[in-house]
Amino acid sequence: SKWKESLLVRTKSRQNGNLMQLVYGPNVTSSTATLREAHDSSDSDESNEDFFMPKGERTKKLSDKLGVENINAEDSSKFIGIQVKDWSDENLIKSIRDRFVTGDWSKASQRGAGVEGLGDDEA
Amino acid sequence: MGKTSYMKLQGSHQLRQRLVLATLATTPILVEDIRSDDTSPGLRPYEVSLLRLIEKISDDCTVEINETGTKLRYKPGTLMGGRYLVHDCGLSRSIGYFLEPLILLGLFGKKPLSIRLKGITNDTKDPSADTFRTTTLHMLKRFGVPLEGLEMKIESRGAPPLGGGEVILGVPIVPSSLTATHWVDEGMVKSIRGVTFSTRVSPQIGNRMIYAARGVFNRFIPDVHIFTDHRSGPSGGRSPGYGVSLVAETTSGCLISTDIAVSYPRAEETNALEDSDEKPELLPPEDVGVQVASMLLEEIEQGGVVDSTHQGLLFLLCALCPPDVSKVRVGKLTPYGIETLRNIRDFLGVKFVIKPDPTTNTVILKCVGCGMKNLSRKVT
Repeated sequence: SKWKESLLVRTKSRQNGNLMQLVYGPNVTSSTATLREAHDSSDSDESNEDFFMPKGERTKKLSDKLGVENINAEDSSKFIGIQVKDWSDENLIKSIRDRFVTGDWSKASQRGAGVEGLGDDEA
Repeated sequence: MGKTSYMKLQGSHQLRQRLVLATLATTPILVEDIRSDDTSPGLRPYEVSLLRLIEKISDDCTVEINETGTKLRYKPGTLMGGRYLVHDCGLSRSIGYFLEPLILLGLFGKKPLSIRLKGITNDTKDPSADTFRTTTLHMLKRFGVPLEGLEMKIESRGAPPLGGGEVILGVPIVPSSLTATHWVDEGMVKSIRGVTFSTRVSPQIGNRMIYAARGVFNRFIPDVHIFTDHRSGPSGGRSPGYGVSLVAETTSGCLISTDIAVSYPRAEETNALEDSDEKPELLPPEDVGVQVASMLLEEIEQGGVVDSTHQGLLFLLCALCPPDVSKVRVGKLTPYGIETLRNIRDFLGVKFVIKPDPTTNTVILKCVGCGMKNLSRKVT
């Protein structure tokens, strides 16, 4: 019905904002330029003395940075950690049935059609 | 010489990407607090090896590391590339760890790159050499990289802990820049290909893995071909191990890959656990087959034009395009992918517009490339 449409649009846009926030942090406005400027200015102040700094100060600085969970996390592009599902399960099989050429082609094309619609919205 | 201003970074995470982006954007970086609270602080052998590798393919770059290895200064030079280079990757990380940054650096070099890398070809932490050959190299085509000279050959295999593998990688240079791509059509999975590897174990293990994996796919698609690559003698490296690398190809030419490898753990890993002297049991080949097949199905379920492992590279390639709009679709954003997006913003100043597509549970990303040009290339 008609009254739902505006709600739907609003929820969609909110979700979108969330994803941007998740990646770039809540202060989306702070651009790279300001970030780099800050680096440059602090660099000229401290220069080489910065190599020796009390430990406490370091952690203080660290907490200022946004969204960094573990600064020494393992550097690997592989995404491991999810438990593999049991793919002999009938429901699971059904859920991705149409992602294969052996599945329903019309449903697969709907998947593509959804994108085109989304693309139009953006424009 | 004038004083250079360094971009300050903290911690060892994402070091590879940071080095690559620093090199491409010619931004000197100062990385602090590298495992400074760890019992064994500082850079790891594989990170030092990566720095050596970057020194090898570039001219006039400087790397300074402090005594404990917790601080690193890197000033990028000119990427040179070159032929018949050799690099020993060591045994603490597999060759896949080095391939990912190397391919990007190779593209923007002065001369085409051909290099022989020695070390571990298949392990659990990094994408295997097989996946790199079958999937990663093909991704570059989408961004207008010339096919000529883009190749990889696995001369010999090496499983952890002792390695002994060798691969030869050839990367062409991009003539001036990449080309932006509009890549959102995932298509439908039309075939599944793969290759198993087995070194210093019974050759029968390869077939056992294939049999188990095929059993899972039987419910979905008949077009499944998995080849065996059993190596014996010197080309089989120095340690026993086995595994599978699978690729699903879709009707629109997307490649979704996954891989798995089983071998005995490295010495330092067992010491940490204080295990007994006896060797731990390896996962049986049948279980390996079922697991890798399930992992591939999960990647297919996620959707997107690339698998979760290649998200980072995809975003990097998009950001390095000329100032033109690129649009790509991926499944759920991985932590690595998110970190990549942040690094891209910090170094290249490129911000993606990220929109979820609720009907398919995928994410659409759009960006305008930073206009990276191959400046090292010889101008004729």
